[in-house]
Amino acid sequence: MLTNYIKIAWKVLLRHPFYTFITLFGITLTLTVLMVVTSFLDHLFGAHYPEAKRARSLYIASVIQTDSANTTMSSGPASFDFLTKYVKTLKSAERVAIMSNFSFSNAYSNGKRIKLNTKYTDIDFWSVTDFEFLEGKPYDETNIRNADHVAVITDALREQYFGQETKSVVGKTIDIENINFRVIGVVKGSPPTRVYTYSDVYFPYTAPKSNYEGKGIRGRFVAIVLARKSADLPAIQAEFDGHVARIPRSEYSDNNHFNVLVVKADTYFDHFLSMFTRSDKDRIALYGIVGLVLLMIMGLPAVNLVNVNVSRILERASEIGVRKAFGAPSKALLWQFIIENIFITFIGGAFALLLTFAIIHFINSSGWIAYADLTINLPVFLTSILVCLVFGLLSGVLPAVRMSRLKIAEALKV
Amino acid sequence: MLRHLFKLIWNKKGTHSLLIIEVWAAFMVLFGVLTLIVFNLRNYLQPIGFQYEQVWNLELSSNQDTTELAQKLQRAIQRVRSYPQVTAASRMSSNTPFSANQIGNSVTYNKVNVGADFYYTDSDLTKVLDIPLKKGRWYVESDRTGKYVPIVINQVMEDKLFQNESGLNKVVKRDEKTSYKVVGIVDKFKGKGLFMSDNPALFQILDKDDRWNSNILIKTKPGTDANFEARLVKDMATMLPGWGVEVGYLKDSRKNRENLTLVPVLIFLIVSGFLLTNVALGLFGVLNLNIAKRKGEIGLRRAMGATESGVTSQFLGEIWVLATFSLIIGLIFAVQFPLMNVFDLDKEIYIIAILAAVAVIYIIVTLCAWFPSKQAASIHPAVALHEE
Repeated sequence: MLTNYIKIAWKVLLRHPFYTFITLFGITLTLTVLMVVTSFLDHLFGAHYPEAKRARSLYIASVIQTDSANTTMSSGPASFDFLTKYVKTLKSAERVAIMSNFSFSNAYSNGKRIKLNTKYTDIDFWSVTDFEFLEGKPYDETNIRNADHVAVITDALREQYFGQETKSVVGKTIDIENINFRVIGVVKGSPPTRVYTYSDVYFPYTAPKSNYEGKGIRGRFVAIVLARKSADLPAIQAEFDGHVARIPRSEYSDNNHFNVLVVKADTYFDHFLSMFTRSDKDRIALYGIVGLVLLMIMGLPAVNLVNVNVSRILERASEIGVRKAFGAPSKALLWQFIIENIFITFIGGAFALLLTFAIIHFINSSGWIAYADLTINLPVFLTSILVCLVFGLLSGVLPAVRMSRLKIAEALKV
Repeated sequence: MLRHLFKLIWNKKGTHSLLIIEVWAAFMVLFGVLTLIVFNLRNYLQPIGFQYEQVWNLELSSNQDTTELAQKLQRAIQRVRSYPQVTAASRMSSNTPFSANQIGNSVTYNKVNVGADFYYTDSDLTKVLDIPLKKGRWYVESDRTGKYVPIVINQVMEDKLFQNESGLNKVVKRDEKTSYKVVGIVDKFKGKGLFMSDNPALFQILDKDDRWNSNILIKTKPGTDANFEARLVKDMATMLPGWGVEVGYLKDSRKNRENLTLVPVLIFLIVSGFLLTNVALGLFGVLNLNIAKRKGEIGLRRAMGATESGVTSQFLGEIWVLATFSLIIGLIFAVQFPLMNVFDLDKEIYIIAILAAVAVIYIIVTLCAWFPSKQAASIHPAVALHEE
């Protein structure tokens, strides 16, 4: 029976290739846009290499000094001193990693310039992140204590600086701004969209030019707090808020300029949002705009689909009449239309899947984002297929059902 | 004629309401995207106002060093100027062209307060970036001795601050302690690249013993390569132990900066292009079906002596009336943007975007209705009536 319905559906699709094309185009377009967007969002906010533990991590990356009237404001990363004093001491956390915000430098190899991102980290950085070491190992307590000039580099930098040779580079030196660093490990690089862990070269925080000795509350360091399990996050946030509340005003007031200090330990997504939105009102506005854009992108093809389907329903009147005249029950007709719609939605879904694969592959290999690792999000794909089905059913099946209730003579007359 | 068309549409308001919603939604999407494009295009068409091709940005950071910063910076720029590969060099605040940094402040003249981007530089910036002076001159070292701090402003700033007067040699107030004297006016300075709007800009001479602004812009001779750059970095690092030294090319940072604008616009353009194609196809399909259904009517009209073009123009007229309906609803939404000054954009941008969106919608519906109505009108009346 099912194969029969599918056969009919196939014939119906082929009868008017142009209308089939319009329907497929709409479904494919909507699904593709939705999937590429979600895959990109997942790339930005999901837990991926090297921050695979994002689900149980909190980020402390910006310190805001302001006054109660909100007239002046100054914000930026924290100082190493602040983070050791108030974050490293969190008892409810499993581990706390401190790293510098991104900074840039240059290295020169055979008259060619290599632009570098540099990062200064503590040793916990290597256990909070999941960097894969291709060679060597991370720096340890001794390196930090002796302020050794050692560095961990990425595989991309290894290739650029030392050339294609496959021999081990551990123990060789790399000259960055006239200081020779001994390469101690090589890691697989990460995409620059993971701003807090991305770098080309990592130094222990005691290496020159890290400015970790800086006093005061603001500096260039950020911290990632790792919880034992994600259920612990609220407890850690509460403990951290307690620490912040106890900071004496003299430490952050900058000669009575500021009387309010805002430092939050946020999940990555919240942290990202709070960079663009200062208040809850901003946040609602942002959600509103994003929602409106999405609604338009999804709504337009949906209206189009409904429109075409409703216009075409009269075409089927005589078919319904004939089938009823030969004794087909309304239920059989209903099933036929449902299967027809599922069929075309799935074809559209298949095209969308192929297209998304192509686009994602293109983005990953185009080098727009180094080490891009976009993937297709299956739950999102299934949800959007479901949404398309609902619209298809609403627009294609409902009028058909109404028509199938017509008297045979009337249906045949149309 | 128009009343007749309205009546025809009103009689089938059920089926037409869906079409109206579709055209309305298409108009709203188009309006949004066109606003984005018109805004950026208008900016893009304004010249950038300076030359950056051969210019490098040397960023020095003192890190933990706190002694004699001013003298060290003086020595550094003298050393940079002494290289044969360097044509000119100038110190500048951290908001160098195409960087992400911004320094904003405001000045007052005759109770008019204007906010501007502040650039702190020395007297050589005009040579490094080739900024042509429109009026007056660039400040020089000897200006420092005067009572007022010498500044150079751009044309927009002059228009806003002095309304219709000339701003040259006028004294403006920053705060109780500092007053500026305008010594020169440049045409445009779009420090964040072509896509930035032509905002007010103000150049102020650096203090003699300034120790905070440690960027040096270097104009190099054509053909200078990374070997010189490596030498420069090495020399600076030996001269300033413990300092951070970084070199960037302005033309590279310009590309990065402009991509930040270009990539989102392109993505929106592609997605909405597909959306509109989808709408156009759907509209074509629906109109095709609707017109095909009215073959009897066409045959009758043709038999009564209506010309082919008369029938075609009736169908086109119908779809135009329909589109006008949706556009009126769309306009009710769209005019709120210039009226309520949403996003602080120039009213002109919204108006251009609205007009362009209206034009595109009319073109799309006309194209979609043209082919089916043409085809229907060309049927021989006998054939059309025979079907009935």
